Amino acid sequence: MLTNLAKRFGDTIAVDHLSLSVPAGSLFGIVGPNGAGKTTTLSMVTGLLRPDGGSVTVHGADVWSDAAAAKRNMGVLPDRLRLFDRLTGSQLLFYAGILRGLDSRTVKDRSADLAIAFGLEDALGRLVTDYSAGMAKKIALACAMIHSPRLLVLDEPFESVDPVSAANITDILKKYVSAGGTVVLSSHSMDLVQRVCDLVAIVVSGQVLVSGTVDEVRGAGSLEERFVELAGGRKTAEGMEWLHSFSD
Amino acid sequence: MVAQFLGLKLRLLANIFRRSPIQLLGLLIGLAYGGGLAIASVVGLASLRLVDPIVAGSIAVTVGSVLVLSCLLAPLAFGADDSLDPRAFSLFGIPAPRLAAVLALSGLLGLPALAITAIAVAQVVTWSRNPVSLGLAVLSAVLIVVTCVLAARVAAAIAASLLATRRSRQVTGLLALIAIVSLAPIVALLARVNWDRGGLRTLASVASVLGWTPLGAAWAAPASAASGHPGAAIVQLLIASAFAGGLWLAWRALVAWILVTPQRQAHDSGSVGLGWFARLPSTPAGVIAARSITYWVRDARYRTALIAIPIAPLIFVLALSVAGVPWHILALVPVPVMSLLLAWSVHNDVAYDSSAIWMHVASNTAGRADRFGRLVPVLMIGVPLVLIGSPISAGLYGDGSVLPSLIGASSSLLLGGLGVSSVISARFPYPAVRPGDSPFAQPQASGTGSGLIQSLALLATLVLSAPAIGFAILGLMNGGQWPLGSLLAGLGLGLAFLAFGIFWGGRIFARRAPELLSFTLRH
Repeated sequence: MLTNLAKRFGDTIAVDHLSLSVPAGSLFGIVGPNGAGKTTTLSMVTGLLRPDGGSVTVHGADVWSDAAAAKRNMGVLPDRLRLFDRLTGSQLLFYAGILRGLDSRTVKDRSADLAIAFGLEDALGRLVTDYSAGMAKKIALACAMIHSPRLLVLDEPFESVDPVSAANITDILKKYVSAGGTVVLSSHSMDLVQRVCDLVAIVVSGQVLVSGTVDEVRGAGSLEERFVELAGGRKTAEGMEWLHSFSD
Repeated sequence: MVAQFLGLKLRLLANIFRRSPIQLLGLLIGLAYGGGLAIASVVGLASLRLVDPIVAGSIAVTVGSVLVLSCLLAPLAFGADDSLDPRAFSLFGIPAPRLAAVLALSGLLGLPALAITAIAVAQVVTWSRNPVSLGLAVLSAVLIVVTCVLAARVAAAIAASLLATRRSRQVTGLLALIAIVSLAPIVALLARVNWDRGGLRTLASVASVLGWTPLGAAWAAPASAASGHPGAAIVQLLIASAFAGGLWLAWRALVAWILVTPQRQAHDSGSVGLGWFARLPSTPAGVIAARSITYWVRDARYRTALIAIPIAPLIFVLALSVAGVPWHILALVPVPVMSLLLAWSVHNDVAYDSSAIWMHVASNTAGRADRFGRLVPVLMIGVPLVLIGSPISAGLYGDGSVLPSLIGASSSLLLGGLGVSSVISARFPYPAVRPGDSPFAQPQASGTGSGLIQSLALLATLVLSAPAIGFAILGLMNGGQWPLGSLLAGLGLGLAFLAFGIFWGGRIFARRAPELLSFTLRH
């Protein structure tokens, strides 16, 4: 539940009084063009970035005034933030679990389960700095889930993840939602959002243009067509004819 | 293409000056220092023209060998300016030999190359005594410049690629520090040589050896010719040419190899267990401590600090001994100085985490746990250091009665300093070297006032430790009960400041956590 969320960086308005309501038990997709303010919005939702105005409420707790309760209920996968990458995969999972207040027995059991679910069994002994981009994404995702939160906020969870792992992750998320969990994710992949999510919001220039169930939003066409239409249409590439006369 | 590369290099050169004022000031001091050295060398070499050829040759060969050697070693030790790293051009499809030639050529356009050229020309002046030595000197000048530029490029390429793995980079950092530290005794030794009598003879014998090595051969050839050994001159010229040729082949091979080699290979750390995480309590403070210890061991930035801390007091002691402070007093210096530096070394710890600190923010980690966990590795090193180092120091001093003072002053510096660092790193972070970058690299963005914050942290620690240190000094002068007072003041106040620092720093951390994260993202 977001109300009137606003953030500006200097003269740039990143998020312009954005309001959204995500019902519990849904898989909610946020899509938008590059620079639309998706990451900024999600950072403010998760308590990583202080908003200039507005409020965020997670299961009744305000993220910015009752941080302890709100953050306990939330698992976070931020985009483009570092991990403590001089730790091995298993150390990082352990770190995340203990910071979230679990006991070491539980953390070890869940680490083993998560490693199998994400196909990371062989990588747990290696330093995270040596992981590929997709593997780093998966270990971060595992860290976000380890304390079984009620809400998962995932920024670009499928970026640079291979199709097999993406399918696994999708399965995990769907089961999680059917058990009563809530997922908010952002993505560039319309196709994936259309397939996976129940609800979707299209964000452009820091504002919600449209939100609702996937079928409502896409209307007759595909989500991608609707998105392109809302995001200002495609600019036909003119003056690129030189690309078709090859240089040698 | 040559013109484009030279243009690129010129633009890079001009961009040196587009930095923040503080960096620019440092740069200008460096330039003035380097420029001064170069000008002094040029004037010196030119004035050798009127000196006896054997003496002049000895000096020129020694200076020249040092110059060539530093071209080889400087990039290895300090990390190279890799703005023209061959890898950057790998996608342009330029044939390797051609790229190697162009890059070497653009290496000529640089301030160090300019200084070397000036010095090489100056040695032509030195040997403009007869046509033969003049001709040889001109040839040598060309060889010198080519050798130095190629040596620097080869060394830079080795530093950037062969040594790019994490572990070897740490090793080179260590070697560089050892080299710098070992320079100090050499300088001290040189200062003691009696230049009036044995000095020149020593120099001549050193130069006669160096003149036949690749380092000094090019410098020795005109000298040999001027002192009437044309045969020797030819052979030395051949040695120098062979060295330059060898460097060229090495450079070409390196470029060809770099173009087709990925930057770094992953390797197995070989451990599947939890390491320190298994040995410390499974609480937030415990895992943060385990993470910190792991970083002190694995991260080159911390390891550099770890290596520098025992070395710094050695240099300090050396300087004081040159100034004439008696040895038994100097024995008291290292332990308190190391305690101070250890505590001070974590005053920018949050910035070292970079944006990975989001984990603490997202999980609403208690500020106290974060503060305390980070101090554990320092305590693990510092407490044994004080407990073991102090008796050794007291033994060297030769009087056991200073032991309480030593422990008091050192623990006050260590504990109080950690309290100060706890507050400062939460309240005043400043840009640090990013994870994975060379510990000798400059931070990407230089903030204002990092020097101010460093001095503030150091000064605050000294002020907080003033009672313990003051009592210790009174004890040294008057004896009596002062050492006991120092011990009690040091331990009592130290622990109090530590607890207060963790508490206050934790409050600041809890309040400013999102701002700290934004800070690490900006830098």
